[in-house]
Amino acid sequence: MKLPALALFERSLRLETRSALMCWSRTGLLILILLVLVPIQSLARVGMFGAPGLHFLQEMVWLNLVFITLAGLSYFASAITEEKEEMMLGLLRMTDLDPVAILLGKSTSRLVGALLLLLVQVPFVLLAVTLGGVGLLQIAASYGTLLAYLFLVCNLALLFSVVFRNTTTAAAFTLIVLMVFLIGHHWAAGIVQEMASSGRVNPQRGMGLILTTLIDFWRQAAPSDRLSAIFRTGFAGPAIGFQVASNLVLGVLLFLLAWLVFDWCTREEKDAATPQRWLVGRATRRSRIPPRLVGTRAISWKDFTFISGGKLGLLLKFGIVALLVALCNLIALETGSGEVITREFEGSVLIWVSLVITAVCLALEAAHVFREEIRWKTLSSLITLPVSVPELAYRKVAGTLAGTLPLLAGFVLGAVLVPEDVGRFFNDILSEPIALGTFSVAILQFILFLHLTAFLSLIIKRGALPLAIAIQYIGGSFFMAILAIMFSAGGSSGPGAICLLTGLICVVSTVVLHRAIGLRLARAAAEE
Amino acid sequence: MSESNLLTIEICNLHHAYKRQQALRGVSFAVEQGSIHGFVGPNGAGKTTTLKILATLLKPQSGTVRVFGLDVVADYKNVRRKTGFMPDHFSLYRQMTVQEYLDFFGAAYGLDVQERTRVVGDVLALTDMGARRNDLIKALSRGMQQRISLARVLVHDPALLLLDEPASGLDPRARIELMDIIRELRRMGKTIFISSHILSELAELCDSVTILDRGAVCYSGSMSGLNQRDGEVADYLLTFAEEHPAAEAALRKVSGVIEVTKPAKAPQYRVSFQRKQTDLNLLLRAALDSGAQITGFQEIVRHLNQAFMDLTEPGVPPVMVTAANNTPPPLPVPDAGGPS
Repeated sequence: MKLPALALFERSLRLETRSALMCWSRTGLLILILLVLVPIQSLARVGMFGAPGLHFLQEMVWLNLVFITLAGLSYFASAITEEKEEMMLGLLRMTDLDPVAILLGKSTSRLVGALLLLLVQVPFVLLAVTLGGVGLLQIAASYGTLLAYLFLVCNLALLFSVVFRNTTTAAAFTLIVLMVFLIGHHWAAGIVQEMASSGRVNPQRGMGLILTTLIDFWRQAAPSDRLSAIFRTGFAGPAIGFQVASNLVLGVLLFLLAWLVFDWCTREEKDAATPQRWLVGRATRRSRIPPRLVGTRAISWKDFTFISGGKLGLLLKFGIVALLVALCNLIALETGSGEVITREFEGSVLIWVSLVITAVCLALEAAHVFREEIRWKTLSSLITLPVSVPELAYRKVAGTLAGTLPLLAGFVLGAVLVPEDVGRFFNDILSEPIALGTFSVAILQFILFLHLTAFLSLIIKRGALPLAIAIQYIGGSFFMAILAIMFSAGGSSGPGAICLLTGLICVVSTVVLHRAIGLRLARAAAEE
Repeated sequence: MSESNLLTIEICNLHHAYKRQQALRGVSFAVEQGSIHGFVGPNGAGKTTTLKILATLLKPQSGTVRVFGLDVVADYKNVRRKTGFMPDHFSLYRQMTVQEYLDFFGAAYGLDVQERTRVVGDVLALTDMGARRNDLIKALSRGMQQRISLARVLVHDPALLLLDEPASGLDPRARIELMDIIRELRRMGKTIFISSHILSELAELCDSVTILDRGAVCYSGSMSGLNQRDGEVADYLLTFAEEHPAAEAALRKVSGVIEVTKPAKAPQYRVSFQRKQTDLNLLLRAALDSGAQITGFQEIVRHLNQAFMDLTEPGVPPVMVTAANNTPPPLPVPDAGGPS
């Protein structure tokens, strides 16, 4: 007799096994292995580096680590929220299924699918031993690390998926916690060390000792440190270390916590897909549409207000920039480098923070600008306006850009603070063709990335941004490696040719995606 | 004025396929200006595909589709200006207020602020939503959201309204009120093309109807034409004072009579005859001459429900694999004025 708790789990497993997505994912993984393997072997042959097996393993493991983190933001974080967004959780709860059954069915089945995706790689990764430079123990230890990390990520995302009403919020919190978990211990250790050197704490006793021990546990639990240790020459084990044990224990605790709060968080069925009111501001008695906005400019206004967050969203983004600049100053002060807080320091911090936040906002908006219309089934109403599809799309994009590009004011302010540095930077670029080529390729790649994100958001329900990051990263690495091999014997003309070809590939891909977005938009409107 | 100027919609030999499914197979019909035209058919018949082609959301793969004489592909922008499409789902920005939502579409259609203020007030009054103009759309009931969808369609004052299942999911009061709004819109001179499964309401509302089944037109024409089983054959029910077998024999002898049946135990006869060969007067005379005493007679007309059941086939249509150049199966030729 089947246990009721396992009924949904079993059904989900069957569906996952049969789903075309999983089949394509497995195929994609095999292609990925090939994409990683071929350039490494070729580069090793031409003598660009030794120990190709170790390089192959490292490449595979770091890629998997990135994929697992990205999966946490989309695949796992939507486990329960997707039911909330579709108002289906209430129906599930009305059946005989108890919270454990729902959690197992919605999340653990996905975990099993992802575990299988990891395990299917193992026979191929064993080729690393043949390539040389790595032992079986290192392969076992690295995949053990990944499996434990996957378990932790799945249950962390599950907890946030239970707690929050929509996938976006759950994914955002998963990302923040994972980032803190993966790299936060470096900062924490630095701060404690600084406090110790200034005499505020003693790392040998009391609070100092407790902090040092906790940070040490934290460091050992993070997969990045463990993997670095595994990849060192002469790694002698153990295959299952503290990281694996701690990640598994943490994962179990997070699952239990998700179970514990499940009833409390899902008792009332709320409209989970409702947009955030704080983002769109208060509804007023009068329409917020400025009277002069007539025609397609109204479309830009709508996207400026509801996709980009409007004036309030813009203020919030400026607030984040200011906060990060303040944080950089605080860290500089705390680490004892207070004397470096100069005009040059503030200028460069402003430039970099503005650029990074602008890029992040643009990527997020690329994932939402068309997706939201599909989600709300409003595309058919928009498309029947007397404008062409490209005009509609450009107006929408213009609206979102209007809500983000003002952030570049931070860049301008930074440039005003350090005009000589900025001038030197552009002078270097313009005087050196290779530098100019690299700079242009970087910009072209970012434009391609935005197009890829927007296109993927039109064909998949969620996870367009993580997938775009993955595709861009893998595709970019592969092409760069191939081009490096092709031009390895090219002497001084090699880097220039690589830049030119990469730029060309970016432009062609962008044009193709640009066209595909228009076609897909029209199709999506007709499919509503 | 040419005939085509009086037609709002002209569809001729329209074909459309989705991968393995042939959705439309040579659809042809026309809709007169200022009328309410019902569009009915079983699920999967091709109604929504036709509506989407009319709304310029889909391009027809073959055949011609004209709205107010404008080609829906070549002149799609003008077609959109003259057309308002209400899909079968809510297409609403739920984070906007009612006023803001209508104002947004008014602005997007190019209305200036004074015009927008007037039009939004008018459509809110027409749909009786004026009191909820400052509410967020997400806070409205389903019926109210449906009204807002209709109000949005009216913002740019289109001459043709394409309504896909506008009454689905509404409570009886909301349905009746929606039908009243649609009648009011016809009085305002708009042509309304309405797809619905609620046949009883369509029967009351529509001037003409097109019945679609498995991608082909089964009937297109006036409601009165549909009510007669066949344009050339008439059905009458004659009621006598008492049983009179000689009358049945006399009726059978009349030229043009196809059949005489006795539907009930009561002294009644159902007579089917060719309209061209005989008429009711000849039948009545034959019955009276046989000595029968006639107490009543009436033409038997079908209701839309019955016509729908008679004209459409039961069951779910199978997937039809059709090559691009395949000739579609022969279809009954639709006649704008009468049954096919």
